Amino acid sequence: MEEIYILGLLAVFLSIVIGFWALVKEEDDLHRILLTDLAEILALALIALVATDLAEALILPGLVVGISELMAISEVFLVREGLTRQPERMLHIEVMDSAPAILALALIGYGVLLSGFSGGAVAGIGVIFYFICKGHDERFAIFEVLSGYAWVMWIVAFFIFVLVPQYWFFGVLIAGAAILLKVAGKMSLVGTMRGGANV
Amino acid sequence: MFELPVTTIEGPEIFVIEFGDIVNYFTVYTAALFTFALLFTILVIISRPERQVDIAFGGDAFYTKDVTPAQMKFQRFMALACGLATLGAMMSGDVFNFTLFTSMVGITNIGIVAAYKYKHVLNAAFQYGIVAMIATVPLFGSAAIILATTGTLSMWELFGSTIAVPLIAKIFLVLGVMGEGMAPFYVAKAEITRAPGAPYVLMIHVSSLLLFLRVVEIVISM
Amino acid sequence: MKRREGRGTRISRISRTISELENLAGLYAVLFIAVTLIGAFTLPSLLYQEDQLYPKTIDTNSSLNPYERGGTPFNTTEVRAQYPENSPYLGYVTAYLTPVTRFIADHTPYLGTTIVAHPGGIIDEILYNTRGLDTVAETSILFVAFAIAAHLFRRED
Repeated sequence: MEEIYILGLLAVFLSIVIGFWALVKEEDDLHRILLTDLAEILALALIALVATDLAEALILPGLVVGISELMAISEVFLVREGLTRQPERMLHIEVMDSAPAILALALIGYGVLLSGFSGGAVAGIGVIFYFICKGHDERFAIFEVLSGYAWVMWIVAFFIFVLVPQYWFFGVLIAGAAILLKVAGKMSLVGTMRGGANV
Repeated sequence: MFELPVTTIEGPEIFVIEFGDIVNYFTVYTAALFTFALLFTILVIISRPERQVDIAFGGDAFYTKDVTPAQMKFQRFMALACGLATLGAMMSGDVFNFTLFTSMVGITNIGIVAAYKYKHVLNAAFQYGIVAMIATVPLFGSAAIILATTGTLSMWELFGSTIAVPLIAKIFLVLGVMGEGMAPFYVAKAEITRAPGAPYVLMIHVSSLLLFLRVVEIVISM
Repeated sequence: MKRREGRGTRISRISRTISELENLAGLYAVLFIAVTLIGAFTLPSLLYQEDQLYPKTIDTNSSLNPYERGGTPFNTTEVRAQYPENSPYLGYVTAYLTPVTRFIADHTPYLGTTIVAHPGGIIDEILYNTRGLDTVAETSILFVAFAIAAHLFRRED
């Protein structure tokens, strides 16, 4: 076990040297964003080397921090470069007129049934599909509100666990629902934040 | 039940808040830092943004840099979040929890700066953001190495004399806080603070200063 | 691009490099690489502590395989937390399975790969209960990042 851990650390340290040296050499800002995202994986690898349930649970916050910072930075990059061009021609096939409502409903329904993290991902895909087909004007504000509610629900669940632990069951379900909302909301943003007239 | 093993550096603990495995605490030292952060957060809530005036040389002309209400609201929200994250980092009794609050300070700092439309400020925000992002590698890496080599993340155990924290983990922790709080990289901060909106922008400095004081305490105690 | 007039002394060249904003990330990366290289020499002294919290157990016969921690829903099971006395209902979340999860676990041997999807289980125990403050910080980070992106995206120029 000890040798394996040291070998793993050695591999990660080597990757750190390679990855960060690439960052030193890279001049283009867009490529830098991509490289930093790659470098974040190394932090997760270091946590994963601990190889306990706790490590598995710590990876989630680590991953979320990376994704959040990436989201903020790329938006700063877009604004700085003034990249707000809408794609002129998008894919349009017949199924995109007939299917979105029912497919999105099925996916969201199944996501809610699953609940929790991957339930959120499934529901999010349903929402993405709907938005790709129907356009997403005016709907962006909804997700901001949703994100706020998910946050509040999570805090409520946390206080249930701290103050009245005998109601742990409600805490689990509230947190499960909150993470569903959160992940679904984030997933549905993929490809919709490209700027332009849609507020 | 909870008692700090070393009281020479930060004084005896004043009180302890238990959140499951994460046991937060105040000592004389961290309570002072906490109060300072709290004062500044309150200051941010009640104050109005400063307006800068540019004077054109050789004439009577001057420009006022206006701060729109929307921008002010957003910056105040970010400064408030930054203050809360700093409060969290000050009282944290768990290494991983501390690193999380530290990265929250980093990201709110990006937010405070990103509210401006000036290109040079946005560029500084971007470059700073890249550093804040890669700083999560030493930050979380340090917590991970501590967990793997000592089997715990709680500062209550780590501060004891029976547990030896590897030097590399300590250096990684300091390096991570350096990246998130930007303390030694005043180049970017100079660019950032050329923008109007004083109390909110100052939150960046206050938070990184306090983070540094806290991380020094943690590293020495470990 | 900044001006690069003249050669200057060595110190002025260094200070010019440091003062350029575009080199900031590179500077930090160089610092980190240096620390990592030095740290690589101390690797043999980094011994893995066998006595870990929340250890992982593998039971290949269970349909909940990598996440099987024993116990039945609404009962408790043994969990090795840092401070068990702070979480009086420790183990209840670990043992809980939603009806859907129960159904899948009874009918397929592969639930273990998806248990993180459902409320309940050891990961939820750690994330919501014993280390709840971590997830509070994490959601707050996500919330703040989202607010930044949304503000930049929505503001009219």
